[in-house]
Amino acid sequence: MNISETQAGSITIVAITGTLDASTTKELLKSPAISNPAQSVVMDLEHLDFLDSSGLGALIGTLRKKRERSAETLISCMNDRVRRVFEITNAHRIFHIFDDTAAAVDYATQLTARI
Amino acid sequence: MKTLLAIREREYEWVQQAFPSIHPLLLPICNKPFTEFLIDFAILAGSTEIRLLSDGPLGKVEDYCEDGSRWGIKLSYGHLQAEDSLPELLNKSRKFCTDDRIMIISGFSFIHYDKQLGYANFMSLMPAGTCASCPGGNITLAGPPETSAQELPALPLTLMPLNQIESYFRISMETLETGAARYVLPGYGNEPGCAIGRNVVISKSSEIIKPVSIGNNVQILSGAVIGPGAIIGNNVIVDKESTVKSGIILDNTYIGEHLEINGRIATGNTLIDPARGASIAMEDPHLLSGIRSADKRGSAIRKTVHLLAAAILVALQLIPFLLLFPLLKLLGRWKSGMAICHGAGHGKSFTLPTTLITGNGPLASLASSLSLDRLPLLLRIFTGQLAIIGSTPVPVTLETVVLPGEHQGYRPAVFSYAEAEEWPVNDSDAAIVERYFIVHSTPLKDISMTLKALLNRL
Repeated sequence: MNISETQAGSITIVAITGTLDASTTKELLKSPAISNPAQSVVMDLEHLDFLDSSGLGALIGTLRKKRERSAETLISCMNDRVRRVFEITNAHRIFHIFDDTAAAVDYATQLTARI
Repeated sequence: MKTLLAIREREYEWVQQAFPSIHPLLLPICNKPFTEFLIDFAILAGSTEIRLLSDGPLGKVEDYCEDGSRWGIKLSYGHLQAEDSLPELLNKSRKFCTDDRIMIISGFSFIHYDKQLGYANFMSLMPAGTCASCPGGNITLAGPPETSAQELPALPLTLMPLNQIESYFRISMETLETGAARYVLPGYGNEPGCAIGRNVVISKSSEIIKPVSIGNNVQILSGAVIGPGAIIGNNVIVDKESTVKSGIILDNTYIGEHLEINGRIATGNTLIDPARGASIAMEDPHLLSGIRSADKRGSAIRKTVHLLAAAILVALQLIPFLLLFPLLKLLGRWKSGMAICHGAGHGKSFTLPTTLITGNGPLASLASSLSLDRLPLLLRIFTGQLAIIGSTPVPVTLETVVLPGEHQGYRPAVFSYAEAEEWPVNDSDAAIVERYFIVHSTPLKDISMTLKALLNRL
């Protein structure tokens, strides 16, 4: 798995490439933007090839921790494989999901400005 | 132009309760799934790309509609949240909404359109804003019109709310009456008002009175009278001397001999009065029953693996149970009861033993660690009521007399998948894990997950 972080104003875009499963979630959780609960992030999942329940757990755990500190975790550019996992598990009801990273960043910026 | 179809789960909740075996977005109207009517209209309005957005599951719709190539369009799928406003919907689909003109069809409502009319012209001239609406649904245009017209004629369509069984029945009957003159409807027929699907066997002595719509794989046996005003779904048998008029027989239904279905909807073993919304479930399968497909081979393999695993676990737990159970019972630490829980399959329920081992003493801890409290449940695997691992059994309460729709693929079990995972911190997380593995697990994976669940209790 490869994680890249890009700053877009006050929001960090975290792009994940490869596989997010039990063996790689620790790496994701250690990344600076994810481990900082006050940092709002947009998770770009366009190049995420595989997501299992542990990976989903990492994303949900991140969302929960950030919301406790009034920060947000948004999802952008999900491919069909990942979208189906979100849908099967009803995780799509928890996250705000965008088909465009810039739109997600705009939305996150508005949300953080309101707080 | 592109079209966004935005349908929220709360708008079609009533369908899940009335017809649990049908995905609401595939609810057949005159043997054509609801979503197909929306797609047809979007194409008539000049759309080349359509995106279906919902907060509910779309898997079955996606399996049916695929990528839209059947209609010569691009069809994609996305998610919304129930409270999303129109600007939020457009923002969440920003990459999709690159065209200047976007039509947004919101809500679970039926569009009365006419396939003979060219809606593309209307839609390109109409100003931005809502151009048609009804309670619970509307059609909105975003972006400037391609050309500005001085005077616009009224849009030749109406929206009808599809919000209860009565409106569903009425819309179905109206669609049947209007027939193929107005909509593209499935089936073959050499005269108006009569559409018959593939693999239909009609006995010589039976009578078909127009208007009727008959689906695929239907058998109409001797002396049966179908119509006028009958909609017979797919995979239906109408037995001897029975009559169906002004009624709907939904897919996979058997109508017994000498029955008269008049002004009713039959689905599986349930007969519904659309005017009052009242329904009655028939216990006698010779009268009215559902036609179920046989269990798949994979399911049989899974059951066998679960049975073997249960037998091994029972054998391993038996001696510790016989030693610890009397002691814990004497100490008052073993508390047992009974609970009525939902079974797998609509309307099924059964009574399950519940066990609670209280206290922190060494005996109680040992019994809990060895999962001895699950032994009474393990025995239910042999009766086919439970799986070894799957969903946490959902108790039947006044609020959950019908199993809520969120428990899709529900498979009650002794251990839940969530117990095998370490991250779930609340019931919502546990439900996510359960839904994931209900779809992704294999019989072998089930065994490894059961072992993990057992180890997590040590």
